[in-house]
Amino acid sequence: MVHVKNLPSALKPIALQIEAIARDAGLDFFEVVFQGYDARDVNALAAYSGFPVRYASWRFGMEYERLEKGYSWGLSKIYELVINNDPTYAYLVRSNSLLEQKLVIAHVFGHADFFKHNVWFSATERKMVDLMESHAMRVRRYIEAVGQEEVERFLDIAMALDNLTDPFLPLRELRAGKPKRTGGNQSERARAAFEAVSGGAVRRATEPKKYDGPSKPPTFDILGFLAEAADLEPWQRDIVRIVRAEAYYFMPQRMTKIMNEGWASFWHSRIMTRAVAGPDEIIDFADCHSGATMASPGQLNPYKMGIELFRHAERSGKDLFHMRAVHNDTSFIDAVIDEEFAERHGLYVYGKNQRTGRVEVVDRDWTKVKSQLLTNLTWGGLPQIELVDADHEGRGELYLRHRHDGRDLQLDAAAKTLEQVRELWKRPVNLLTQEEGQGRLLCADEDGVQVYETDEDGSVPARDEDDDDARRAS
Amino acid sequence: MYRIERDRSRFREIVRGRIREDLRKYLSSTELLGRRGDKTVSIPVPQIELPRFRFGDNKKQGVGQGPGKKGQPVDGDAQDGDGAGGAGENPGQHILEVDVELDELAEMLGQELELPNIEPRGDRLLSADGGRYTGIRSTGPKSLRHFRRTYKNALRRTIASGDWDPLAPKVVPVREDERMRWRKENPRPESSAVIFHIMDVSGSMGREQKDIVRIKAFWIDTWLRSQYDNLEVVYIVHDAVAKVVDQETFFHLRESGGTKISSAYDLCLAQIQERFRPEDWNIYPFHYSDGDNWSARDTERCVGLLRDEILPRVNQFCYGQVKSAYGSGQFKKDLDSSLQDSERLVTANVDDREGIAEAIRIFLGKGR
Repeated sequence: MVHVKNLPSALKPIALQIEAIARDAGLDFFEVVFQGYDARDVNALAAYSGFPVRYASWRFGMEYERLEKGYSWGLSKIYELVINNDPTYAYLVRSNSLLEQKLVIAHVFGHADFFKHNVWFSATERKMVDLMESHAMRVRRYIEAVGQEEVERFLDIAMALDNLTDPFLPLRELRAGKPKRTGGNQSERARAAFEAVSGGAVRRATEPKKYDGPSKPPTFDILGFLAEAADLEPWQRDIVRIVRAEAYYFMPQRMTKIMNEGWASFWHSRIMTRAVAGPDEIIDFADCHSGATMASPGQLNPYKMGIELFRHAERSGKDLFHMRAVHNDTSFIDAVIDEEFAERHGLYVYGKNQRTGRVEVVDRDWTKVKSQLLTNLTWGGLPQIELVDADHEGRGELYLRHRHDGRDLQLDAAAKTLEQVRELWKRPVNLLTQEEGQGRLLCADEDGVQVYETDEDGSVPARDEDDDDARRAS
Repeated sequence: MYRIERDRSRFREIVRGRIREDLRKYLSSTELLGRRGDKTVSIPVPQIELPRFRFGDNKKQGVGQGPGKKGQPVDGDAQDGDGAGGAGENPGQHILEVDVELDELAEMLGQELELPNIEPRGDRLLSADGGRYTGIRSTGPKSLRHFRRTYKNALRRTIASGDWDPLAPKVVPVREDERMRWRKENPRPESSAVIFHIMDVSGSMGREQKDIVRIKAFWIDTWLRSQYDNLEVVYIVHDAVAKVVDQETFFHLRESGGTKISSAYDLCLAQIQERFRPEDWNIYPFHYSDGDNWSARDTERCVGLLRDEILPRVNQFCYGQVKSAYGSGQFKKDLDSSLQDSERLVTANVDDREGIAEAIRIFLGKGR
């Protein structure tokens, strides 16, 4: 089923035609609603990550400002936006040319299929438009009750921590069969799983130390732990849950960026060249397509990388539909990239030359390239930070550990972020990490953050107020 | 849909708060210079992002594609770009530029330094724009005939005279029915001002001194622009001789040589006499120097010029003395002692960048 709204009527039969071709090719998706908007409106939607209604935050306004600037300076233009929802909403910019619209429509069906069938999306909320709206409404109520500044300040704290989540948690919960399998459709099951992770809105505040919920330490779902175990006002607790629920909704997109764009580009290319674009359109198509999949030297375009990975997999005789269902970016790259691929596409590892300060080619060995890619994409490209203990040394302090993989944290930012954790937890919070191979313990209490050097085992040699090694980080 | 506008205005409010907090910093830095458009200043606002755990750049490596041997630099900023490592991670760490209206910036300045608004001299009424065709007259060219009004008059007359026949409605306007549009002039008080930025570019004025002048000129312009609809700026540089230059030259010129301040005052006066009649213009000369004049005799001549010719013609004459390694700073003392009873002369010392704000306050704090 396809709906076309607010677009030239000529696009309706085209959308239907492309849908039929896509279905024949094996793509399968929820109902798709194409809606036409002006570029400004699409920018506004993009600032809200595609949703018509979000809670009030200056950060969306900042994003909008950035997009508007980029658009008015001609630096960037959004052709389309698709959101993972049932029905799947796709926004097209009305000023696109007819050919661009065709390409974009074909592209959208690729995304829509991916959203429906990729396993990492199976635990996401499919009625997200409604959920976002209800989040917005709840936040608005809190603003009315406690005031704009108060809510804004708290939202900022919660949002700063929205990547302290466990990307694998929703799927694990779904697999563990935690939700009651009420025999409902996939979407309902997914929602049940999702609600299980997001804790439901009814659970009461629990005594912190007795907390024994799903996200008890050790856990990567620090935000989930804080939402349930921290000593918060009811409205604050709900805001943390809201931020967390949205973070988990977006997480699969972060984990499958290359695949998702690759799959959509693979299909728009195939559909357009084999069936839709007429002889008079093929040059314009090539122009438009190469613009999107252009790889400038020294950079890696997820569209380009993704489409080439799928093409390579197809050449190697792999089952593309199976791959798009079971992989995320890391496992997909692990399965597909081989020497031939790396060579064909001239992949290399770059790094900063400490001596010259320039960024240069470090290595062209394909195994190095592959492992570098995997490193960078693992864990959604975020630092892995684990909550190890919620009652550290019996003092009710949190103890977090950064699983160091060779890449240091930016310590200033880490110290500031740690302070946000402390704001929620209200007791001291510690983070063990490394800097240039040297163990560091960051301790945030109400006076700020102190940084200590640690021994191999993570212990601080002499933790003393007057210790010379201690330095105030903020 | 325009829900986003609310978020945007909240964002802008926050940014303005930031700028207001940091105004003192901007008042002593060259950061904003050259960022001024006609109506707005684009101000770089760093660090407004939320803090997050993110990777530092100790071992930041990524994957790129393209030609190049091992060790060959990759063009562009691969380390900040959307390399594979950057796919989706940490968006928006860059500095954002925010456009702030000049008037708004001036308002912030006014609040920060507690500047009074300026009472323009004289309120001459000028027909500032060409007027609008909003009036009606019974005479005028046919091309300006107001059809509806004319027709209404004709209809009224026809009915009143009993000639109106609803079955054969016919209305014939005669000369008396006709109404023409007419231009109404909107006289409004014209407020125009001219700033003279006069700078000593002799050898003793170094780079830092010029920067101070530059920053000061920027803020003075900003303030006066908010006070007057029509502002002209004349740049004059002098060492032993003076000349009128454009803005670019004013800020970048590096001259050396002696200093004869009277040459600049002569030129300023000539400009006022030729182009800016005091009856029509609010005049603000600003003179910046390190206070080292060529001779005592020339200083005397300057004092005379100011007292007899320039001061009577201007709203206010400001002399800002920038401290330099070589300048004696004598000129300010001389001015102060010989013209101490003149309200229109304001002098200030600027020892360093921190002193800029105070000097601006002294210059503009009188509301002239």
